Amino acid sequence: MHIPDGLIPPSVCLAGYAITGGTTWYALQQIKKDSNPQANIPKASLLTAAFFVTSLIHIPIPPTSIHLILNGMMGAILGYYAFLAIPIGLFFQAVMFNHGGISTLGVNTVIMGLPAIAAYHLFKLREKVSRKRELWTKILAFASGAFALLLSATLFAAIAISTISPDLDAATERNAIYVSLIGYGIQAIIEGTVTVMLISFLEKVKPELLNI
Amino acid sequence: MKLAIDRYAYLDSPIHRWQQNCKIVGLLGLIFAFAFIHSLILLPIIIITTGIIFFLSRLPFSYLVSRLRYPGWFILAVVFLLPFMIGETILFQWGELTLKLEGCQIAAVIVVRFFCILTISLVLFGTAPFLSTIKGLRSLGLPQVIVDMTLLAYRYLEEVGEMVNTMERAMKLRGFDKHYFKYRNLQVLARLIGSLLVRSYEKSTRIYQAMILRGYGYQPPSNKSQKKLVLNKNHYQDLAATILTLSIALGLLGLDLFFTIR
Amino acid sequence: MKELTRTTKALSQKTVDITATNLCFKYNQEHSVLTDINLSIFTREKVGLIGANGAGKTTLFLAICGILTPTYGEIKICARLVNPGEFRPEIGLVFQNPSDQLFCPTVRDDIAFGPENMGLSPEIVQERVNTALSLTGVSHLIDRIPHHLSGGEKCMVAIASVLAMQPQIILYDEPSANLDLKARRRLIKFLQASPETIVISSHDLELILEVCERVILLNQGRVIADGIPQEIMGDRNLMENNNLEVPHSLTHSH
Repeated sequence: MHIPDGLIPPSVCLAGYAITGGTTWYALQQIKKDSNPQANIPKASLLTAAFFVTSLIHIPIPPTSIHLILNGMMGAILGYYAFLAIPIGLFFQAVMFNHGGISTLGVNTVIMGLPAIAAYHLFKLREKVSRKRELWTKILAFASGAFALLLSATLFAAIAISTISPDLDAATERNAIYVSLIGYGIQAIIEGTVTVMLISFLEKVKPELLNI
Repeated sequence: MKLAIDRYAYLDSPIHRWQQNCKIVGLLGLIFAFAFIHSLILLPIIIITTGIIFFLSRLPFSYLVSRLRYPGWFILAVVFLLPFMIGETILFQWGELTLKLEGCQIAAVIVVRFFCILTISLVLFGTAPFLSTIKGLRSLGLPQVIVDMTLLAYRYLEEVGEMVNTMERAMKLRGFDKHYFKYRNLQVLARLIGSLLVRSYEKSTRIYQAMILRGYGYQPPSNKSQKKLVLNKNHYQDLAATILTLSIALGLLGLDLFFTIR
Repeated sequence: MKELTRTTKALSQKTVDITATNLCFKYNQEHSVLTDINLSIFTREKVGLIGANGAGKTTLFLAICGILTPTYGEIKICARLVNPGEFRPEIGLVFQNPSDQLFCPTVRDDIAFGPENMGLSPEIVQERVNTALSLTGVSHLIDRIPHHLSGGEKCMVAIASVLAMQPQIILYDEPSANLDLKARRRLIKFLQASPETIVISSHDLELILEVCERVILLNQGRVIADGIPQEIMGDRNLMENNNLEVPHSLTHSH
């Protein structure tokens, strides 16, 4: 789900960098409000490495296999650090595997990062519920995992399909987007389920990890 | 997991000798100029420019091919349909299938841009150790927090990768077969990822303590002198190379604008 | 001479659990890690594997388990050829770092993992979990979270997670690394009493002296010596030529 170099018009690349730059600045401001931003840097970095490695694990779904993206999970755990972790991960991916690209790093960060921030705010709602906390945590975990992925997929499909071919008529475009979203719907369910499992695991084993 | 990114970083070539922060500015300028190209007529020029830079870098051709293979298939799959879907001028008709000129042109532009940008970014990141690239980005004003996070994540990438390999091995020896898709396997995988997160987190706590003990975050009073670029004789050459590359980039942009308007 | 024929006879009556024939292993074509290894390990034997860092001990273990595919030669476990990638519950490997092995939210889940993969029924799995925990003496930890255990406890739980598959052979990779004295003593007692065929790779030569009746010395991927622990580890020249030291207890007895 990365847009490669050369595919999209430069105006979109630049817009991607502009939005990424602005949001990064905002994320850095939010991070500075932390009680101890310095202590969180190693945590966020190691988790960036861990998420990056996780994205290399393949899950077989015959006849193909998918890899997890978990940007919702990153948002839920890392909060605003996720918006720094994601471009770093994408940068590694572009440099090491030529997956994605340097000119499209901004756009790809927007595609992955904004949904992560949305997922963070969605998951934070659990602090507001007082009754049936366990159930709500599960529901919100699923929602952040699935929603972040769907949002990313929508952004990706919209950018890729609408910019690649300005001459395509609107109906064909819309259909292409719908078709691709069915596939991503399945992945969203898987990502949501894994996010629920991960959050329950962490709540049991290392609850402080959920409160960075 | 192999991070083969520094494999050819220590060769000797004009591109290797080009100081990394100057190289970043120059080649990134070129990459963005390439991304702007619309005109078919400029495609041969950017191919030749890319060819010259790649030749100067002395990176083996086999390395380029191996790095282009996977993303190459991806881009071909993406643009495959364009010649049949877009445009009015029919080049070739075969039953229902019509090959159209405008579609072919768009596909050609996308593919050439893609291969040239990838080759240049391979030269940019393949001709210097990854750490120099990060230092270069820092001297160009990347925020310290991001630099620190990138360095730490990079440093522990291989270690975390090794961790997950060993854990998968241990699971396999206890009979786990991940080649099926079922609920239990998803659960096992989630636990594996969870354990990975917990172990990375615990490691990070120790790393932080070790960093603090060696003075991390302590700002010496005269820090500014370090950031000043030292201009020596070699550095003028680095700057000249950057200015040359940027002029090419600007020239390409100008030409593209000229052809588009005309 | 008479002595020798008796031992050979005794050995030939035993069944062989592990055989390696002309085993070679190379990482990426060039760097040779194991060179022409020939070994037979007999049922219920306790064998120590010693050698300096990088001698090839862990690689040998991984090849025996079928995780790594040998470049040349073959390995048989319980008289059947090892096909790389195939699940062989008759052999278990205890990893050097127990955290590599333990990944579940409770000790119970972790120990049940292997038996579940063998396709056993839930009752039998439960029974295996209980047996494995009581054998390693950590039954009280059953509902705890593996990540929260102490080093010694993790070590015993990791061993239990392998025991639950009831393997005939267990390979131990550096089992005493990072253990305190009490946990180490407990491990030694456990190993001495265990009925399986065991191979222990370790730098803890005193542990090998206490547990093993046979020792194999590896250096640069070759078997340098194979025999009685006191004789091999007491040979100062042999040990020092292979970057090892004679263990303290043997220097005193001389």
